[in-house]
Amino acid sequence: MTSEIVRLTVNGRVREALTEPRKTLVDFLREDLHLTGTHIGCEHGVCGACTVLADGVAVRSCLMLAVQAKGAEVTTIEGLEFEGKLHPLQEAFRESHSFQCGFCTPGFMMTAMELLNEGLPFGERELREHLSGNLCRCTGYQSIVDGVLLAVEKVARGQSSTGTDTIPEGSPAAEDAMP
Amino acid sequence: MRYVGARVQRVEDRRILTGRGHYVDDVQLPDMLHAAFLRSSDAHALIVGIEVAEARLSPGVVAVFTGQDIKALTKPIEGGIQMPGLKTPEFYALATDRVRFVGDPVAVVVAESRALAEDATELIGVEYDPLPPVATYEAALDPSGTTLFEDLDDNVVYRVAKTYGDLDGAFRDADRVVRGTFSQHRHANVPMETRGAVASYDAGSGEFTYHASTQSPQGLRHFLSSLVGIPMERMRVLCGDVGGAFGLKGYVHREDVALAAVSKVLGRPVKWIEDRNEHLLASGQARQETVEIEGAVKEDGTLLGLRVKLVMDQGAYPGVPFPASLFTGTISHLFPGPYRVKGYSFDGTVVATNKCCYVAYRGPWEVETWVRERFLDVIARELGLDPADIRRKNMVNGDADDRLITGASLADVSSRRSFDRALELVGYDDFRADQVIARAAGRYLGIGFATFIEGAPGPADMRGGPFSNERARIRLEADGHLLVITAQAPHGQGHETTLAQIAADEMGVPFEHVRVIHGDTQLTPFSLIGTGGSRSATWASGAVLHTTRAVKDKVLAIAAEMLEISPEDLDIADGVISPKGVPQKSLPLAQIARQAYMSPTTFPAGTDGFLEASEIYTGADITGSGWSGGTHICCVEVDIETGAVSILRWIAVADCGRVINPAVVEGQIRGGVAQGIGGVLYEHSAYDETGQPLATTFMDYLVPTAAEIPTIEIEHLETEPTGGVDFRGVGEAGAVVAPATLTNAIEDALVPLGVRIREQHLPPSRLLELAGIIDSRG
Amino acid sequence: MKLPPFEHHLAGSVEEVVGLLAEWGDEAKVLAGGQSLVPLLSFRLARPAHLIDINAISELSYIRDGTGLEIGAMVRHREAERSVVVGAEAPLVAAALRFVGHTAIRNRGTVGGSLAHADPAAELPTVLTALHGQVVAQSRRGTRVIAAESFLQGFLTTTLEPDELLIATRFPPLPALTGWAFNEFSRRSGDFAICGAATVVGLGPDGRVRDATLVFSGVGGTPVRAVEAERAMVGEIPSPELWATAAEKAAADIDPPSDLHGSAAYRRQLARVLARRSLHEAYDRAVSVA
Repeated sequence: MTSEIVRLTVNGRVREALTEPRKTLVDFLREDLHLTGTHIGCEHGVCGACTVLADGVAVRSCLMLAVQAKGAEVTTIEGLEFEGKLHPLQEAFRESHSFQCGFCTPGFMMTAMELLNEGLPFGERELREHLSGNLCRCTGYQSIVDGVLLAVEKVARGQSSTGTDTIPEGSPAAEDAMP
Repeated sequence: MRYVGARVQRVEDRRILTGRGHYVDDVQLPDMLHAAFLRSSDAHALIVGIEVAEARLSPGVVAVFTGQDIKALTKPIEGGIQMPGLKTPEFYALATDRVRFVGDPVAVVVAESRALAEDATELIGVEYDPLPPVATYEAALDPSGTTLFEDLDDNVVYRVAKTYGDLDGAFRDADRVVRGTFSQHRHANVPMETRGAVASYDAGSGEFTYHASTQSPQGLRHFLSSLVGIPMERMRVLCGDVGGAFGLKGYVHREDVALAAVSKVLGRPVKWIEDRNEHLLASGQARQETVEIEGAVKEDGTLLGLRVKLVMDQGAYPGVPFPASLFTGTISHLFPGPYRVKGYSFDGTVVATNKCCYVAYRGPWEVETWVRERFLDVIARELGLDPADIRRKNMVNGDADDRLITGASLADVSSRRSFDRALELVGYDDFRADQVIARAAGRYLGIGFATFIEGAPGPADMRGGPFSNERARIRLEADGHLLVITAQAPHGQGHETTLAQIAADEMGVPFEHVRVIHGDTQLTPFSLIGTGGSRSATWASGAVLHTTRAVKDKVLAIAAEMLEISPEDLDIADGVISPKGVPQKSLPLAQIARQAYMSPTTFPAGTDGFLEASEIYTGADITGSGWSGGTHICCVEVDIETGAVSILRWIAVADCGRVINPAVVEGQIRGGVAQGIGGVLYEHSAYDETGQPLATTFMDYLVPTAAEIPTIEIEHLETEPTGGVDFRGVGEAGAVVAPATLTNAIEDALVPLGVRIREQHLPPSRLLELAGIIDSRG
Repeated sequence: MKLPPFEHHLAGSVEEVVGLLAEWGDEAKVLAGGQSLVPLLSFRLARPAHLIDINAISELSYIRDGTGLEIGAMVRHREAERSVVVGAEAPLVAAALRFVGHTAIRNRGTVGGSLAHADPAAELPTVLTALHGQVVAQSRRGTRVIAAESFLQGFLTTTLEPDELLIATRFPPLPALTGWAFNEFSRRSGDFAICGAATVVGLGPDGRVRDATLVFSGVGGTPVRAVEAERAMVGEIPSPELWATAAEKAAADIDPPSDLHGSAAYRRQLARVLARRSLHEAYDRAVSVA
């Protein structure tokens, strides 16, 4: 198997590593780039824990090869904070006590981010269907639904850090900024 | 009480929401290797030969170990809780001469990467000589059939029979005997994070660090030390964040033992992260029980007696430390529930079969609530009574002399209150009226309810066993902040928040000045269970409360001498000690703390300047009935063309005593209900008659999604704070009561079609078979 | 599991792809969206020595209308689902796409990939059949157009030769006075359907059924057309009873499998119910465009 250099932008930073073509994007992010925020729940594209944004859309990073992400702009959960300030979605999830064990969280976060970014209106029924591609075993989903609805409200009210692709990853100030 | 009772935002969210959690797969150590297990694809076979030479030469492979290799390095898997009459076979971490379920590990490859290790497993040649599979109760109980273990005479690993009260009298006085056989299907915990660990043996120091995803770090340490031969003082288990467990991770798994042994031999860290296929195949499964029940009843609905006969399928190997048979105890004790009976018998049989190990799954005694509450509806229907009236007739009120026929007091139990309130909230009579109209219009609406009790912690006469204690260690730091070290091993329960709420309130410091740590066995006190059995709300809280009080007492004693005021007249609030009503004369906690560290001998004589405390809490001032529980009620509509069930409404009236953090409690209830719904409508760890598993991916093992789980309304029946330890467990509640609630509603919906629900798994096709819409012969 | 080893080739043109396919034949698999292929690799059920990655071939990403609709193989489901052109020219396709998995799957999965994968429980093969569509296959030997029924051969099997690449899908235009519908039943939101029914119903100027197509997913190795039931509807006066009778006939004519998710009898029941619902819906659409 011929290894390839994969060069891509992750959370606003250009990253590069040599990898076997059979390595999935999620393994590449976790092992080669040490971004362990994205989790692996099934490796067959069903549970959604591995969801990241690639070129603006939500994808199952367990179903993408790392070599398919060359030149892509990828956003992971680590990329949502901006200079230590939480994204309104993260704040909304915290206020809504949306999660428990946290393992499914990165996937839900990025699925919800895509929804927020699209900015189209939706009701609870539609939201639940949209979220049905992410499995959670702890919460029974209600708190997650509440969190997303609250995030929509927050974004509408303009309470935001930008949370865009230009975020530097691993900002040290983040630890201090959270109460 | 500033924090207890409030929806304090979680400490855990700080890292969970930013992708900075530390789960075991996040552990990346220098020089780390990766393990992959070769697993049997036969349900039952002799291992005639195993050839690993080619695998050893596969790229990146460092070592290959067979079952015999591991056997030479480890003790047989033992140490499970003993019960009189429990038959435990001898077996090792890997299969040695025989495989006993599809997924039974037969070899382990260690390589530079998981992918390379898996490549090598494909080069291992195993010659199997198939044996007849034992995949049903009948096959297991057949005296002329195949036995799974040569050192056991048959496949019955446990039998128990108990009788209480006047059983014969109950059946003699009955107007009729109602009978039924009720089956629960095999399904599983399925946390989002699979099992996994990094075993790291440092040959230089002889230190063994086991990075785990566990519910009991101390329990795991204890067993690994013993089974792999590492002295306890050199064995450290480190557990960070755990992505769910629901009982599965309270065990020392065979893979744990193999992994530790392998790391010890290689002297390098070895990581094994279970993939989802392995998980569904081999991690653990639960709930497979069948109950034959007879109820002695009067025509007016009075329940006189119950004869209960249970069979449980433990799979092939028993789990350590909690074998399947253990749960027959709680099942039998709780079976009659909050109802009066004059006589009761329980006969339990646990059999071994060629399936994955039966493990504790969120309320492992759940079958008692399911069968009892299902059976009450069955009795009601047979007598022509409303299921609500049958409960009203027989449910205890929680009077002082109310008691489970199996012994424990039911004084002050709130079952009746929760039942009445649930029916009130749903508008029971209105629903029945709507149901009549809907039926006339050809729509199948149904309502179902179930009441349950859980001994979390249970009344005083139920406490006092080996698990009725909990330790905590607390330290006041030099800056006046509090370090709470708990034996708990949270995996979503928010203990870093809830225990901090308790400590902060008790000590009188801001919540943000309390840190709860867990998971490092070099620091944490011992507990065999860790987190499980809905114990943390009472036991861990009680331990933290009393241990904080012990530190506080030391501090107040010092402050009292310094301020020349009696300790009873001192308050601590916001980290400042001051006499009651005289805030000007105050002393910051941090000042005393700093002095304790820097100049400990300057404290007044007779005071203890070592501002730490360690306590074993054994249940002092637990107040209230001791029972956790409640009533759930749901409304459904069944589409009789497709068999789809829509849950229109779900209400939980819950009693878990005083609530520490309502958001945490609600999350626990909803999560448990979701799993109960999942079991009934979606989840099945199915095996065919030859022991071949049928649901080994998430395409076939269906975990319900946000589109299937309804909004769940919750009302807490709270008690007035008593100043004692009045918190009760709630972790398992939803999962215990939801299946009964839902199956009762489904049968209620299909009453016009004469449907009788006697099984718990009701996918759409099965409902249409039961309703006679389609032929069950395919 | 982790994926088995393979060589990865990022192709720059269709010409390059067919050259590689001519060389490697069935030792190679084409990687488009990967949403079906990568799970197979992850289960180690497929072990191609070579993956030919066509994600960089922009000439395969087009949606063209003219006489009917042509969708290039690399068009993502999500793009097709939201395309105004697809919505106008082949609304049945747009409607069916909404049932495909979840958003993240549709963001990567492709129209070409789904058809080449040929899962009989999937939406696109069924809709292709219902619309009498075709696929365009290219190899070094030339181009050929294959009708749906000739293309979908069996479970995960098409008549594509090992050296052929599916480059486009064609959906002929719907005649006037034609309605369509797609309904499926799955156990959870976004799952593969246990059974689905795609219908196209055309009316004559006299209001009678001019033509009807009824295709099921999930009941056989390929999408299954209820030919006898279709025939029985032609020339008849539309009515709820007509749809019910046709659905009954269609269900009786299929021979569905049994599995963990449903028995054969259950699939037959679903086929009956979904066919009836789809025919009714298609008829309503036909008269509403009248």
